[in-house]
Amino acid sequence: MSMRGLVRSTIKLLPLYNTHSYRPGQLRLKASPQASEAFRGVGYLHKGTLRRLEMALYYLVIMPLAAFLPARLAYNLACRRADLLYLWDVPKRKRVLRCLEMVLGDQLSRGELERVARDHFRVRSCEVVDVMRLAGKGQALARLVEMRGLEHIEAALAAGKGAILCSAHFGSYDGCFSLLGIRGYPITVVGRWPSKSDGDRSSLECFLFRQTYQKPVAHHRHRPNIEPRPGQIGTAVQAANVLRQNELLSILLDPPVLPADRARAVQVNFLNGRALLLPGAVTLAQLTGAPVLMVFMRRSADWGHQILEISPPVSMDGDAETAFERCLAVVENAIRQNPAHWRYWNITPLVQLGLLPREAMEDLV
Amino acid sequence: MESVINDYISHKLVEKPEQLPLKNDMPLLESGILDSLSVLKLVLFLEERFGIVVAPDELIPENFETVEAICAYLRVQQQV
Repeated sequence: MSMRGLVRSTIKLLPLYNTHSYRPGQLRLKASPQASEAFRGVGYLHKGTLRRLEMALYYLVIMPLAAFLPARLAYNLACRRADLLYLWDVPKRKRVLRCLEMVLGDQLSRGELERVARDHFRVRSCEVVDVMRLAGKGQALARLVEMRGLEHIEAALAAGKGAILCSAHFGSYDGCFSLLGIRGYPITVVGRWPSKSDGDRSSLECFLFRQTYQKPVAHHRHRPNIEPRPGQIGTAVQAANVLRQNELLSILLDPPVLPADRARAVQVNFLNGRALLLPGAVTLAQLTGAPVLMVFMRRSADWGHQILEISPPVSMDGDAETAFERCLAVVENAIRQNPAHWRYWNITPLVQLGLLPREAMEDLV
Repeated sequence: MESVINDYISHKLVEKPEQLPLKNDMPLLESGILDSLSVLKLVLFLEERFGIVVAPDELIPENFETVEAICAYLRVQQQV
């Protein structure tokens, strides 16, 4: 491959770092040509060459070197970079602000919305440092994180039915599960990594993603991720087998539903709207008797230190939908307390979740 | 065996009344009667009722395509 091809592939790879658990390409929305045009221009994937070059430098050069500086320096650098992006990437800033305004607008003042939007950029930028610091034994990250509520995991494992750790696309969720692995808990995650079969990624893109993100995150986990794929019938049984071994299984509750799964999805109250989500984690808990614990990791005011908090078991009484709404209320509470930590402040996922009308896309024009 | 499995699927897993009565050769995956979670329910039932253990590599569509396929799979398991 020529040097030019290599650089082009490297630059193309970058959106993967932001979208590995949510891929707009999979969940295409139909919109007017005008809205689609706007989407292409200011969409989730940044097309600008300069923007991509900046990301390439940050992910592949600056952060691998800077992440192991003293934490204060490394996270300060990440925050400064985020502040520059907040000023520079005007379309993205506008999009995040617009989403915050449409979903939480009546609860936050203009000043608060702007602070949350800027902090959202910072959270995303600091995540990269977290992943880099997971390399090796991961202690560079582990020593910055205070864990609260580990007794709930201990109690669940003592009961012998494993535990389901539920979370959301919130803060450094991937790092959060890996940290529990570093702590010695046998943890398996249900979630898909990007792969070549997704269609819009080259082998090189997937290779670079695996080396720089997936490997440091995954090697602290007990087993490879359980990756649900359309037409695969054994996913839930695999998950149940993890619980039968009295191990931990982690599931994110908030990803937009794939078209193939719509029939199984339920509409639930979430962030001032009705969201379409899959209650599979709760059904699994009800079938296996495993307790559901909610897990969130949030950043402290200095951005370097974090707190990983594990809740007591959520009641699974009632039908799956009722119990799922209970879990989702905990997710919503975490998002309301730290809105900048939620990954989905973007038009496409919010439209797909059902929290924004499809016309929101048109407004971008 | 066919009637036990047909009864379980008909009563516990079929959600659309128009899919009843369930024929033993009806495609369960294609028709959407079985998905990942309902396969788990079915596997838990089969393990309890027939005293077998379903290994991960046996969780393939061919073994769960129809009531007949499930019974064929069970018969092989019971002979082992």
